[in-house]
Amino acid sequence: MKKIKKLFAVCVLICCAFSAKAQQGTLKLGLNYNYSFPMSGFKNDLISNNSPRGFMGELMYSFDNQLSGGLLFGFQDYYQKYPRALYHLSSTQDISAVLSNSIQTTPVLLKAKYFITPSSYLKPYVSLAAGANIIDFKQYFGEFGNSETNVGFRAQGGLGVLIPFKKTSPSGFNIGASYDYAPYKKNGYKDLNSVNLQAGVVIELK
Amino acid sequence: MVLGIDFVKKFEKTKVMKRLALMLIGFAGFSTVYTSCTKDPINNLSADESRIYITNHDSTVNFTNYKTYSISDSVAVIENGKSTRELTDVGQAYIDAVKKYMDQAGYQMVSKSASPDLGVDVNHIINTTTGVISYGDYWGNYGGYWDPYYWGYPDYRYYIPYAYSVYQIKEGAMSVDLLDLKNASSDHKINIIWTGLIRGSGIFTTSVADAQVKALFDQSSYLKH
Repeated sequence: MKKIKKLFAVCVLICCAFSAKAQQGTLKLGLNYNYSFPMSGFKNDLISNNSPRGFMGELMYSFDNQLSGGLLFGFQDYYQKYPRALYHLSSTQDISAVLSNSIQTTPVLLKAKYFITPSSYLKPYVSLAAGANIIDFKQYFGEFGNSETNVGFRAQGGLGVLIPFKKTSPSGFNIGASYDYAPYKKNGYKDLNSVNLQAGVVIELK
Repeated sequence: MVLGIDFVKKFEKTKVMKRLALMLIGFAGFSTVYTSCTKDPINNLSADESRIYITNHDSTVNFTNYKTYSISDSVAVIENGKSTRELTDVGQAYIDAVKKYMDQAGYQMVSKSASPDLGVDVNHIINTTTGVISYGDYWGNYGGYWDPYYWGYPDYRYYIPYAYSVYQIKEGAMSVDLLDLKNASSDHKINIIWTGLIRGSGIFTTSVADAQVKALFDQSSYLKH
């Protein structure tokens, strides 16, 4: 937990520091399709199916040609239906059911992005983000289910490359990948960690 | 010069419009992903997959000590804490299926007057007012659904030694109960020693009754002799 707080504090500090430092900059909107691979506890305990249903967006302020900071938002839908099985609810009670897990995550994170070689045509970057993860978890035995909404922590480390539309264009295509750390300590579960692949566009707004 | 400024303004305006259009297209696309690409777990289930089978039993009971049973000749339709008795084709199909799987489990059916070791009740649970009933509520008035007199013990009450987890029953369910008649006299109560509950889509048809009851017995291997 301490690590999480430190990471979050670092992200906030980076964004604040750059905001203070910046005299002027540009605002960029990134919209990306997101393909997600559940990892670790998420994959083992809840959903092992990859999710092709999601997006990630970001509104970033460029402080200079290397550093930018802003807000990341997104949505991902995870779903898995397990074949009928017998579950022991207590020492005397059993239930035979098709179990379905349905999870929707909506991250809202503060993000910092660093372009490694800003003067080159292809602009590789690394990023760090941390913030809130809104989790909507529904679990069904057959057609009978419960749903629960929680807000948890989420941190993201990413890398990618911006491919400008033209050599001098500040807008372009984006290809990236990230590892998302998302603890989820509910009902014996551990986390909703995932690896994500993104592809989309970045548009300069002003 | 004036023309030049107009041109620049127009050019800038076009650029802004382009960006706005791109943004709108982007947001529209992502909104579509958000709303239409979320998989609905309920719509993704077949009727068979929608069904659940819950069984519970008295862990202190050795079912091999029970040899004979008698089954009720009708189904108790329990609705909002009250019950009526009826025998429809569906009810008969469930009663026949219970007989079949009790026989397969090694029990012998006898008449009610032949002092059976077990009594078997079949119930159709409906709820229409509150939208929710738990198993606790279901058991609260069991004597009202099946008067102990029916099983030849008019002064006794029913007793269930175990509790179900609370399940919400919004539509309807079928349940089967095994009653301990063998020890009713010595215990001065009728213990309910096994219960099976069937819930889900399409269970109130004659064609599926056998498979539903089979599922209950399949997951209760301790019933077999």
